Amino acid sequence: MTTISIEAVNAPPLRRHRRLPDKWAWLLMAVVAGILLVWEAAVSWLHLVPESFLPPPTAVAAAFVELLGRPDFWQAFVFSLQNLAIGLVLAVIVGVIVGLAVGWSPVLRFTVAPFLWLLYSTPKVALAPLFILVLGLGNESKIALVFLLAVFPIILNTMEGAVTVNASLVNAARVYNVNGVALGWKVIFPATLPYSLAGIQRGVALGFTGEVLGEFLGGAGGLGHLLEFAAYQFEMAEAIAMVFVMVIVANLLLALISALRKRLAPWYDDRQVMYGA
Amino acid sequence: MTTTTIERPEPGASAPLISVRNLTVSYNVARTGKTLTAIEGVDLDVREGEFVTVLGPSGCGKTTFMNVIAGLVKPTSGEVLVDGRPVTGPGPDRAVVFQDYALLPWRTVFDNVKFGLEMQSRLKGDGWRDRVQEAVELVGLKGFESSYPRELSGGMQQRVGLARAIVAEPRILLMDEPLGAVDALTREVMRDEIEKLIAATGKTVLFITHSIEEAILLGDRIVVFKSHPGAIKEVIETGLERPRSERSVQSEPRFLELRDHLWEALQHEATAAARVAGS
Ligand SMILES: Nc1ncnc2c1ncn2[C@@H]1O[C@H](COP(=O)(O)OP(=O)(O)OP(=O)(O)O)[C@@H](O)[C@H]1O
Ligand SMILES: [Mg+2]
Repeated sequence: MTTISIEAVNAPPLRRHRRLPDKWAWLLMAVVAGILLVWEAAVSWLHLVPESFLPPPTAVAAAFVELLGRPDFWQAFVFSLQNLAIGLVLAVIVGVIVGLAVGWSPVLRFTVAPFLWLLYSTPKVALAPLFILVLGLGNESKIALVFLLAVFPIILNTMEGAVTVNASLVNAARVYNVNGVALGWKVIFPATLPYSLAGIQRGVALGFTGEVLGEFLGGAGGLGHLLEFAAYQFEMAEAIAMVFVMVIVANLLLALISALRKRLAPWYDDRQVMYGA
Repeated sequence: MTTTTIERPEPGASAPLISVRNLTVSYNVARTGKTLTAIEGVDLDVREGEFVTVLGPSGCGKTTFMNVIAGLVKPTSGEVLVDGRPVTGPGPDRAVVFQDYALLPWRTVFDNVKFGLEMQSRLKGDGWRDRVQEAVELVGLKGFESSYPRELSGGMQQRVGLARAIVAEPRILLMDEPLGAVDALTREVMRDEIEKLIAATGKTVLFITHSIEEAILLGDRIVVFKSHPGAIKEVIETGLERPRSERSVQSEPRFLELRDHLWEALQHEATAAARVAGS
C-alpha cells in the first residue's frame, strides 16, 4: 500500500474556549453583588422606595425559598412547563418540516415564503384574547399560543439554512443519484440543522412569553396565573421571586439548546450563528 | 473487486468509452440576465482505459466540461455519450473528485469515504468496511478515520474526496484538480499511487490539472483548453513509456519537448485571457 507516513494525532480536537476567564467571572459577580447591595440599601436602610412597591433582595430571597416549598407553586410550574413542552415540540416538528420544504423548493419559496414573513411580523400577541375565547381557559389556548409564537422563527431560520446549503455538497450527493427524500435526509437536513437550532432557541424564548401571556389573560393555572394572583394581593416579594423563577427556567432551556447545537453541529462552532429571523 | 481488467486495452481497439460531440454549454447569469458561453463546440473521444489530462487557463470551462460528463450539468447543445448511450444524469459508472472537496462536515473521514457506497445501497455484508479502510489508507489518511474535515488540512481533505471517489469503483474517474492543495512531496507519492491504481484496474480517467509536469507525467493524452469561449485548442499524445518513474521521465527529451510546447501554448492563452479581461 502507500508509503506516506503521517502520524496520527492523539490530541483532542481543537475547541474554542467558550467559558469566561476567571477574571471576568469575578468582575461580573462583583457587579451583581453591587447592584443587590444598592438595592438593599435604597429600600431597607435609606427608605427611598416604599417596601410594599419594591421589596429588598433579602425579602425576595426569602419569598423565593418559601415558594419552593409550596405545592401550589409546583403545580403551577408543571402546568406551565407541560404546555410549553407540548407547544414547542409541535412547533419544532412543523417548523423544521415546513422550513425545509419551503427553503428547498423554489416554487414554495416564491409562493409561500412571503406569507410566512407577513405572519412572522404580525403582532401575534394581539391574537391572544381571541385564542382564549375560542379554545377556553385550559391548556389548549396556552399550547396554541406557544406554538404560534415559536413556530415562525423556526420556520424562517430553517428556510434560510436550506436556501444556503452549499451547492457542491448537493452535487456530491447527486453524483450518487441521491434525490428527493434521501437528499433531504442525508444532506439538506444535517446541513441546515445549526440554523434550525438557532431558530429553535429563539422560538423557545418567544414560546415561554406566549405561555405566561396566555396564563395572564385567562388563567386556570400556571406560573403566569400565580404571578398575577400575587401581584393583585400586593405580594411584591413573591411576584418578583416568581419572575426570577421564569428567568431561570428560560435561561436553562436556552443553555440546553446551545449545548445541543455544540454537540450536534460542532462544525458550525466557529461560525456566526443567526439568532433572529 | 468487480472490475479486474488488469491489462490496459490496446489504444484504438474499441469504440470510445466517452464521446463528446460538438458540446456547447451556456449559463444563464440571473444577476445580469445575460447568457455566458462557458464552452463551445467541444469534440473529444476517450477510449476505455485511457488517462486523459486536461490543461487550460483558469475559467476556460474545464470544470464545466467535466460536470457535463458527470451528468451534473446539461449540455446547451451537442451531446455526451458514455459507452454509446447519451448521458442524461449521474450514474454509478462515473465518480467525481471535486475541486472544492465537497466533504460533508458532519461526517468523519471514514463516514465521508463510505458515503458513496452508502448512497448506492452497497453496505450489505462486511466487505465494505475493509474496502473503505483500504481507500483511506491508499490516500495516506490511516489514523485519521475518525477525524472531522474541519480538523484536516486542505490537502488532507482533498485526499478524502479522492478516497470517496475511488471506493465506489467506478469505470470512469473524473478528477478536478485532485492534487491542487497537496504539498509537493505528498503530491509525488499520490501521483504514483494514482498511476498504479489506474494501471491495476484499467480505469478510464479524466484528470484536470494546472501543472504542466503533472499533465505529462500522468496522461496518455493531454487536452489543452483555450478560453473566451472555452474550447479545445489542441490534443497531444504524450507517447511516453509506462510505467513511468517520475525522476527518469523528467530527463527524457520527449518530456522536455512536451513541457516547452505546453508552456508556450498556455503562456499564449494566459496573455490572451488577460487581454480580454483588461479590455
Ligand atoms: N453555475 C454557473 N453559473 C454561471 N456561470 C458559471 C457557472 N459555473 C461556471 N460559470 C462560468 O463558466 C466559466 C467556466 O467556469 P469553470 O468553472 O468551468 O472554469 P475552470 O476552467 O474549471 O476554471 P478553474 O481552473 O479556475 O477551476 C467561467 O467564466 C465561470 O464564470
Ligand atoms: Mg475548475
